[in-house]
Amino acid sequence: MNRCKLIFNQTLMISTAILFGLGIEELIEYLSSGDEWMNWQWYIPLSVIFTGFLCALASLVLVDEDSSLKKINMKMRIFIHFIALFAVVSGCGFIFNWYSKIRQLIPIAIIYVITYGFVWASTIWIFKEDEKKINEAIKDIQDKE
Amino acid sequence: MKVKVRQVSLYEDEEALISAVELTDDIKSAIDILENNCRVVPVISDSKTIMLKTDAIYYIESVDKRTYVYTKENCYETRYRLYELEDILSFYFLRVSKAMIINIRKIRAVKAELNGRMRADLLNGEQITISRAYVKELKGKLGI
Repeated sequence: MNRCKLIFNQTLMISTAILFGLGIEELIEYLSSGDEWMNWQWYIPLSVIFTGFLCALASLVLVDEDSSLKKINMKMRIFIHFIALFAVVSGCGFIFNWYSKIRQLIPIAIIYVITYGFVWASTIWIFKEDEKKINEAIKDIQDKE
Repeated sequence: MKVKVRQVSLYEDEEALISAVELTDDIKSAIDILENNCRVVPVISDSKTIMLKTDAIYYIESVDKRTYVYTKENCYETRYRLYELEDILSFYFLRVSKAMIINIRKIRAVKAELNGRMRADLLNGEQITISRAYVKELKGKLGI
C-alpha cells in the first residue's frame, strides 16, 4: 500500500514538473516567435501523466530505501536515476511528439536539469529542516550519560 | 485477574495489594512499576531471568526470530516479540524499522540521508537507521 501511495505521489509530482517544463517551453516559444497559440494533440495531458508514472517507477527502483539496488553507492544511484529519468522523459517526448527535431530537445534537457536539481535541492532542504527540528526536540528529553 | 481501584485523597494513603497464586513475570513487572515508577522487561542473562529497567535500554532488535535487548554495554535475549514489547514499553520507545525498537531518550542526534531515512547516533556511540516510514512517527512523538 505504501508503495502504491509513493508511486501515486511521485507520479503527481513528476507530472507537475513535466507540465511546468512544457509550459516554460511554450513561454520561450511565445517570447521568441510571438505565437500566442499552442497546438497540443488530444493525448498530450495523458502522455504527461504516463511519463510521470514511468519516472515514478524508475525512482522506486533506483533511489527508494527498499530498492533492490541499495548496495550501490547512493551518489551512483542518483546519477543512474538522473540518466534513466532523462531517457524516459526524452524517449516519451519523442514518442508523444513533444519535440520533433533534436535541437528542440535542448530546451527540454535544460528544463529537465533545472527541475531535477530543484526537486533534489527542495527535498534535501526539507530533510535538513526535519533533522534540525528533531535534534532540537531530542535535546529536551535526552538522558544524561 | 480482577483489578479494583479505590480513590483516596492523600498520596500517603496510596497502596496496592496484589493477591496472586504465584509471582509471574507480569506480576513482578507490575510490582516494579508500582515500586520504582519504572517499567521492566524480563531478559535472560547467563541462563537466568532478570528484570531489566526500561530506562537502561538503548534499542531492541529482532534477528532470526529472536529478540535482543541492548543496553549501554550489554546485550540480553528476551522471550518477548517486538510487537509484545511495544505494548510493555513506555512512550519514549519507537519502532524505527520492521526489526527494531529504539529508546528515543538515548539518541544523541539524528542525520538525514538522501533517501529519506535518518541515521540516529546513540549515546553509546552506536548508529541506528530510522526508516523513512517511521521518521513521521518520531516527529509525532516529539510533537513536531
